[in-house]
Amino acid sequence: MIDPSWVAGLGVFLFCIGLWGAFTRKNAIIVLMSIELILNAVNLNFIAGAAQHGDATGWVYTAFAIAIAAAEVAIGLAIFLAMYSQHETISLDEVKLLKH
Amino acid sequence: MSENSSKKAIFEREFSIVATLVVGAGALLLSFPLFFEEAVGEIDWITIPMVAFPILASIILLALASQQPRGMKENMAFPVKAASLGFSLFILAISSALFFGWLGSIDWTTLKINEYNMNHEYTWINSLGISWHVGLDGLSFPMLWLTTLIIPITMITTWEENSGWYHHPLLLLMEGALIGVFVALDLFMFYVFWELTLIPMFFLILKWGGKDRRYAAQKFFLYTFTASVIMLLGIVTLYFLQDPSQYLIDRGVLTGRTFSMIDMTNNAQMAANDGSVWLGESMQNALFLMLMLGFLVKLPAVPFHTWLPDAHVQAPTSGSMVLAGVMLKMGAYGMFRLPLTLFPHALAEYQYLLLAIGMISLVYGSIVCLGQTNLKRMVAYSSVSHMGIVILGIASMQPLGFAGAIFMMFAHGIISPMLFSVCGSFKHHYHTLEIGSTRGLAKASPFLGGYMMFSWMASLGLPLLAGFVAEITVLVAVWMTFGWWVLLPALVLVITAGYYLWSMQRTIFEGSGDVVLPEGMAAEDARDLSPWENIGNLLMALLIVLFGVLPWIIWDMMSAYANAHFYFNMGGLLNLVAGGA
Amino acid sequence: MEASELAILIPVLPILAMPVILFLGQLFNGNAKWKGFWKEGGTIATAVMAIVFLLSLWLIVGHVSAFSEGNGDDVVTDVGNWVSYQLFTEHGDMKVQELGFGMQLDHVSVMLLFVASFLCLLICIFSLGYMNTDEVNENRNHRFYGEFVLFCAGMFGMVLADNFLWLFIFWEIMGLCSYLLIGFYYERPSASYAAKKAFLTTRVGDIFLFVGLLIMHAEFGSWDFAVVFNAANIGAADAGLIKAMLLLMFIGAVGKSAQFPLHVWLPDAMEGPTPVSALIHAATMVNAGLYLVARMFPFFAAPAMAGELGDVALLIAMIGGITAFMAAAIAFVQKDIKKVLAYSTMSQLAYIFTGLGAALWFVNNGHDELAFFAFGASMFHLFNHAMAKGMLFMASGSVIHEMHHAHHHLEQSEDGHDEDDDHHFDAQDMDNMGGLASRMPITAIAMAAGSASIIGIPLIGGFWSKEGIVGSAWKAVMYDGGGLFIIPAILVLLTAGMTGFYMSRMWFMTFAGKPKTEVAANVEETTPFIPIPLVTLTFMTLGGILFAGLNFAGWLGENSTHLSLSHAPSHLWHEITHAFLALGSDGQMDPFILIITWTTILLSMVIGPFYAMSLYGGKLAKGQKAHWSIAWIITLSGRIHSTYKFDNSIWAESGLSTALRNRLYFDQWYDSLMLKIVVPFSYAAAWFDRRIIDGVIKGIETGSQEASRNIRSLTTGSARDYIMMAALGTLALFLLIWGVA
Repeated sequence: MIDPSWVAGLGVFLFCIGLWGAFTRKNAIIVLMSIELILNAVNLNFIAGAAQHGDATGWVYTAFAIAIAAAEVAIGLAIFLAMYSQHETISLDEVKLLKH
Repeated sequence: MSENSSKKAIFEREFSIVATLVVGAGALLLSFPLFFEEAVGEIDWITIPMVAFPILASIILLALASQQPRGMKENMAFPVKAASLGFSLFILAISSALFFGWLGSIDWTTLKINEYNMNHEYTWINSLGISWHVGLDGLSFPMLWLTTLIIPITMITTWEENSGWYHHPLLLLMEGALIGVFVALDLFMFYVFWELTLIPMFFLILKWGGKDRRYAAQKFFLYTFTASVIMLLGIVTLYFLQDPSQYLIDRGVLTGRTFSMIDMTNNAQMAANDGSVWLGESMQNALFLMLMLGFLVKLPAVPFHTWLPDAHVQAPTSGSMVLAGVMLKMGAYGMFRLPLTLFPHALAEYQYLLLAIGMISLVYGSIVCLGQTNLKRMVAYSSVSHMGIVILGIASMQPLGFAGAIFMMFAHGIISPMLFSVCGSFKHHYHTLEIGSTRGLAKASPFLGGYMMFSWMASLGLPLLAGFVAEITVLVAVWMTFGWWVLLPALVLVITAGYYLWSMQRTIFEGSGDVVLPEGMAAEDARDLSPWENIGNLLMALLIVLFGVLPWIIWDMMSAYANAHFYFNMGGLLNLVAGGA
Repeated sequence: MEASELAILIPVLPILAMPVILFLGQLFNGNAKWKGFWKEGGTIATAVMAIVFLLSLWLIVGHVSAFSEGNGDDVVTDVGNWVSYQLFTEHGDMKVQELGFGMQLDHVSVMLLFVASFLCLLICIFSLGYMNTDEVNENRNHRFYGEFVLFCAGMFGMVLADNFLWLFIFWEIMGLCSYLLIGFYYERPSASYAAKKAFLTTRVGDIFLFVGLLIMHAEFGSWDFAVVFNAANIGAADAGLIKAMLLLMFIGAVGKSAQFPLHVWLPDAMEGPTPVSALIHAATMVNAGLYLVARMFPFFAAPAMAGELGDVALLIAMIGGITAFMAAAIAFVQKDIKKVLAYSTMSQLAYIFTGLGAALWFVNNGHDELAFFAFGASMFHLFNHAMAKGMLFMASGSVIHEMHHAHHHLEQSEDGHDEDDDHHFDAQDMDNMGGLASRMPITAIAMAAGSASIIGIPLIGGFWSKEGIVGSAWKAVMYDGGGLFIIPAILVLLTAGMTGFYMSRMWFMTFAGKPKTEVAANVEETTPFIPIPLVTLTFMTLGGILFAGLNFAGWLGENSTHLSLSHAPSHLWHEITHAFLALGSDGQMDPFILIITWTTILLSMVIGPFYAMSLYGGKLAKGQKAHWSIAWIITLSGRIHSTYKFDNSIWAESGLSTALRNRLYFDQWYDSLMLKIVVPFSYAAAWFDRRIIDGVIKGIETGSQEASRNIRSLTTGSARDYIMMAALGTLALFLLIWGVA
């Protein structure tokens, strides 16, 4: 069995990649993918913790997170579609709907 | 032609739906006992029929009406209004039945402190110690009855309001929320309903209000909401300060603490019996002030009163009637229910602060009244002034003062809606509220003039009308506790008479020979009250006379509550009272 | 069935009649039958008043005869509990209190009940003629009758109540009705103003009474007469607070009975429908204050208070003396017939206050016999004055009404069209009258009898009681510590002469001489119903001698337990010797009192009327003949007028006279107090509320808006900025937690 700390380490690595992607990319789809990456990193951390302590709570949370992430992706994509039909772009630099 | 007949057909269909709804709901409520195996008196007549039912019914009515196409909504007005009125009358029937003992004899005058009639509890959020807990005693029942009396009367009086399909269900929603506040025996539930009352009132002001309704609605909402957040902070602090090792009936599974008022009162009572101060002196004082702040803003007391005139002046008649008649009473009710019951020691500590606030509200409010040029604003300030009497009754720390204060809440609750309904009719028929812009209206609108005179007289405390009983009992208590300070409230009785008579002289009287109408109004437009307004005002006038001539109908239970309250707090309080006198 | 069981109906019936009349009036407004047979509600009101009068009589006769048989006691009926509550006592336990309603009947309330129910019935009959024949009142008489019966209910209830709380409640109801009735012609600014003034002025007095009652409740734990008048309870109470309480209650009485300095409302109250509201403000309601002071008697009589309350009694007498003199002086210069009567009312009520003050002083200083005498005389004067003044007002109403009609008639026949120009012609101005004695015989005789009673012409009504009051005031001067009574004593003595002048002046200006206007020459006495009360009350007033013979005054003063018909001749003889020769009960003549008596008679009967005759008397126009009973007075006045000419222009044009015409500027002072101080102050308070208190709230509002506008510039709208901020925020949070840990 792999040591849980390796799993946690992988989680940290993925988290950083995701964060970097979310900060730097213009394309909304890629930003969404980066966020998914962050979520999965957190899931890995949960799993690592669960494995370490032999407690099922972490598994349960992971299951929740995956389900919610799926829903979130669906909503996110729907928003981007709507955005595209309105502004004909999904570049985050050009859309400032959140202002005020 | 065909369009009309199809409209008519649709209307008839809708009408039949609503009529079925009313009859069905009535049948449901009347057959309520059949669903239970208990005796009629042991059934929970509060949760479903009086709280859930009006709220759900109003939502259904709103949904039903708002689904109609644009032109059809006004057609729905009559059936929806009729349904709302019918529902509120059902509720009135139930609350009256509770009082008169038609649903099994209920004794209102022998309750001890922390004993409730119709006491029913259901698990709600178990982990935090939150339950759905309802019950009635000599304090909350008069308020409940007041609510169920005033709402249908308001519906009748404002029957001809625009967009009735929207307006009347809001009043029904208001009724459910207000009843929820008065019956709640769980702090969480209390707070939920407390804030729920803001929503229909906000929309009433926003949709039917005057020119500055936006400003008034926001000010009303934010001001009272801010105060209730402070109150919420107090409630949460109170929650966490409880000692989980104490005996609690509704212990939260997770937190070991409870929101149950009964448990808290029990603990406070036990501490008082031991001669100790529950939660410690400084904490009691802090919590007392936090809770009182929330309630004083709602009441409102000077200097937290400025939202009230703005809200009243902009609010429609119905909004003003419910706001002044019942919503203000929430503040006073909350005071009795929470800080005064839980923190008797802090009450004694801040007795003179309350005296000061009460006196200032009373005197300052009445003087400001005298300087008003807007009829509704004047009546609003008179509410501030009269609520000062409630605070004085509390500050007197006499059972008589408490009972008088509760009676004042009730009396003001039936008098002030009439004041505002008269003001509303005035505005409706003469398109102005400026005092002095008209003369001799008693000639053009004799009923308006008559009701104005009657309600003005009731408000200035004329004997044999409801307000007098409250004034005399509170002032007796004030004399017994504070002595010559009573001269100030007595002086206010003159000022009150002054501003009321002066305003009448400058609106409905004078104008020798010819009626003076507001500028730009044609003489033939000067009309008297509509039949609906007449009925509503007449009902309120009858109530005012009834409770003025036979106050003991409702007085006895209030007095019993006040006495029980004082037996409970005997230990620590008595010495303080004797010392203060 | 006992009369006392039905006694509750006396106040309740009229109260119930009020909504009925108002409702029917609103329903049938303008209906011919409603106007005809039902007199716009007048018939119902009269019927109710008649029933109430019969009930009262039943009650009164029972009471009087029970006393005559020697087994009488004050009737007390407990009707029921109103509110009950608990109070802390000083020992820390709770005691149950009850405020109930009950009725008590003793000598004073019996007398007042009779006065009230009798006069209310007569006024009601009078109104049938007066109100319903005036076009101004058309279609709103039901309002008058509704308010009228409520008013009567207030008076009955106040008289019958067996505790001070209900006395106060009915007292206030009368205040309300007085407001409504004075403001009956609400469209007239003067009436609206007068109504407000009356309500507010009496309200000022009322709150003092109210505070007094609060003290009473604190001291006795009850408002019941039975508890409060108990000598032991009075002994247990704090003497200082009792004194304060009595003073406060007296201020209430001052307001209600229109005494200095709260007298300003009464003359203006004449704005009400002539003369009915005026009568209410003369014969019944204003007696409430007197009744209240009379009710204070047990406090002064209590042994525990002996000698303590002399100042209060002196103050009462002093206020009485000042008001009597002041009102009489103002009455000198009034041109309006009703205003003269209004000031006369004030002056006569003040007499009664003086008498009561003397009675209270006597009893407080242990001179019980004198106290009972003074008390009886005061109460008897109340009775005489109510009867006479009721009649005088109705008579003046009759004059005004007929003047009005005559004027109307003339206008119509001259111009051929009906023009309402009341502004040019004042039907109440005595300068427009004159010579009416032949045109209105019933009214003239009634007014002569009433004036004689008010003046105190020997053997007629008011004489018997006024002599007693003046004598008592002077007697008080002679005792230790009563020296200051010299002021009210001199004032009431002078006022007796002044009364003789102004009452005669009024009568001669109205009825003697030649008509001063064409209208006055065409007056006819034709209105129905009006003569009934006038004739009844004329006999009542002239029958004062009968009441004197019955020892009515002694009975009222409670030093005699029965009214005895069999002893009437001998008692009358005693009264006469007492009145004219100042013989005491021991047969000794008191020379001092003898001088006072004859001075009073001389002043009031000879000097006052003589002066009035010389100034205002005169023969009737040629061909006009007055009734024989008054013809000789007119002839005499004509002779004096032509023989003795006084030049009173020095007085008439002096500053004093102007001041009197302006009612000694009291009204101006009060008005400017209101308009220059109270109202501006309230406007300032309203400004303070809007700008300062609400200003702070608005400041918070705009401040937070400003702050949020600044913070808003951080929101760039770019999603990546937000992510960055969230990440940085989280990082900061971690660092924080790490640092704390």
